[in-house]
Amino acid sequence: MSHHHHDGHEHHHHEVEPVEGSWQDPADDRPIAVARRRFLAGLGVAVGGAALASAGAGEAAATPLPTNRWGTPQRWYAGDHHIHTQYSGDGQYTVSQQVAKAREHGLDWMVITDHGGVAHQKFSLDQVTPDIEKARRSNRDVLVYQGLEWNIPGAEHATVFLPPDRHTVDILRAFEAGYDGGILSTAVANGGKGLITRSTSADGEPYALAALRYLESQVLSGRTEIALMFANHPSRRGVDSPHELRGWRDAAPGVAVGMEGAPGHQAAGISKASGGRGGARGYYDSSPGVDSHPGYAPSATENPYRTYGGFDWMTAKVGGLWDSMLAEGRPWWITSTSDVHQVFNDTLTPGPQDYDKTGSKGAPVDSGVKQTGFGDFFPGFYSRTVVGSRSRSYVDVMRGLQAGKVIAVHGRLIDGLDLRVRALGEGDNQGVTLGGRTFVKRGGSVEVTVEVTGAGGPNFAGVVPRLAKLDLIAGPVTGPVTDRDTLSAPGTTVVKSFEVTKNRSRFTYVFKDVPGPFYLRVRGSDGRKLTSDGGPVMDVIADSDPWSDLWFYANPVFVDVI
Amino acid sequence: MRWVRLVPAFTSVGAHFDREVLSALDKAGVSADLVLTHVEREDSVAVTAVSARITSGLAPGTEIDPPVEGRCARFPGQSILTGVHHVAEIVEATAIDEVVGIGAAVTPDTRVDTGGFVRPEYRDGLLVLLVEPAAGGVFQPAEVEQPHECCAGSH
Repeated sequence: MSHHHHDGHEHHHHEVEPVEGSWQDPADDRPIAVARRRFLAGLGVAVGGAALASAGAGEAAATPLPTNRWGTPQRWYAGDHHIHTQYSGDGQYTVSQQVAKAREHGLDWMVITDHGGVAHQKFSLDQVTPDIEKARRSNRDVLVYQGLEWNIPGAEHATVFLPPDRHTVDILRAFEAGYDGGILSTAVANGGKGLITRSTSADGEPYALAALRYLESQVLSGRTEIALMFANHPSRRGVDSPHELRGWRDAAPGVAVGMEGAPGHQAAGISKASGGRGGARGYYDSSPGVDSHPGYAPSATENPYRTYGGFDWMTAKVGGLWDSMLAEGRPWWITSTSDVHQVFNDTLTPGPQDYDKTGSKGAPVDSGVKQTGFGDFFPGFYSRTVVGSRSRSYVDVMRGLQAGKVIAVHGRLIDGLDLRVRALGEGDNQGVTLGGRTFVKRGGSVEVTVEVTGAGGPNFAGVVPRLAKLDLIAGPVTGPVTDRDTLSAPGTTVVKSFEVTKNRSRFTYVFKDVPGPFYLRVRGSDGRKLTSDGGPVMDVIADSDPWSDLWFYANPVFVDVI
Repeated sequence: MRWVRLVPAFTSVGAHFDREVLSALDKAGVSADLVLTHVEREDSVAVTAVSARITSGLAPGTEIDPPVEGRCARFPGQSILTGVHHVAEIVEATAIDEVVGIGAAVTPDTRVDTGGFVRPEYRDGLLVLLVEPAAGGVFQPAEVEQPHECCAGSH
């Protein structure tokens, strides 16, 4: 939460003070050094951005290894990592209903994420597991991951998931019992652990870090091939402070890899006049509470507790919190999900079963009446997380997510995006794509090409959306922050906006005389709701039609300088 | 007039917290014209403290200097704000000194749909109400009475 931490070791990253694994170790000029640094970086040792910012003399001999090379064979797989069922106290659908809907809407992968808690850990887990296995057998063309919506101790919720394997359920069960904020904050008399004050209070923060290290240890020991965590609806209640986001990322960089750039519940803001709920888009209608970070303060210029063009404030604000993390030179990816609990205009309602006693709502009940008060869309209906992967396998799709080959798309705004970032002249001329890391000689040029394909047909509102503009956003990589609660990157700006007029377009931009390491990213809009400077508009509570304000956000590429 | 500080035993926030605090003061026979809430983060677990400007009655809590800032749960004129009001009326008829629009300017003619729930900020002795665009061409306070609670508010 809001409790301030200042990790002393993060303060010492300058050239004159070599730290373990720093790129500035003058005694270490072996070619192997780069590999070793990558290895250390993978383990979360303090390297990376700071060193990148000052890489220079002594580094010329070492050629960095690019990641996410452009042109590497891969396909794109659409999915959703945030889906609830009857095994959530506020959910209703069966697993097989959700899988059928995901399939109907063209998803290739999905994660079942019911809320963690005492009843879930005790009763739901053993019911959802066979349901998921059955759904996999009867839907061979959809990857159905088993996961959990973890109550991060001291913070918001997060998706945690693993590929199906012998130990998957054991790991999830132990993880939830040991580290779910709901269980940790529930009194022993009520079946919990009684170890922290509230699920969101700051005394939970160490448990969150221990939890992520536990997952990482399961990977390192070989009990699971991969495990991932995405922070969900990060700004909704202001309880994911910047230092917590950085803490998760740094505690287990192979596991905690990103956050929802756009939350689910995108139908909740449809006005009552249009037959909707008349709530807030994403259910983002909160204001600062006792466990909110004080830096998230509504003011005359912004309200961090609202969505902007359907996206979370951390992601939507250029030079905001997401950019401040990317400016450190470290990966942190964004996604978009449905967070489906109860679907707008569906007639099904929750079953009558006592969730606390059984861990299930039972079968949903058909009310025969369209539920206009429900705020969600089915998986794939509106929000997609599109992932580049070598193959359609459980582990490879997760590796694509881990590598940041990810685009978050609303309402089928685009059907394809090919981003290539490469050095012209000395450097990496093949280049890399989304989530990748490339390099150029200091003072050289970096070429960005974006090929974007518009929707080839109607979305699920029955409309063919039209991409109107593309923003190229970039900012310098300035290294690890000294204040871990930093939430802005003043150097990050929209460097170029491209007007899109054709269904298939190619845009090129060249960064010339590159003075130092930087990162860039791309987003696009249907252009129907823009601020005067071309950004997304703060969504109005009870008056936000999600279909008339469409955006996509692509994950960044980092450019090192040699 | 004296200011007192209290730290309630219950830990909830928002409208529910306000109701408990205000009714506790009323039951104690204390009149307070300004009641503020403050999040205190000195310890690892934040708590919500209350400061109240006492106009009559024997107040519980410890006496303090006037606070610098806070979130205002009660202020003079609050009961007038029951529905849709012009900014000019809000500023004239209540203790609120200024109405500030988020991302959009307001004028004295701007209508604010209060929903009967108004929680201005107290800054250096001034009460400032943050409002944002709402459906139907009106504005509404940035803090709403009942924000959506995920998983029925259990976490």
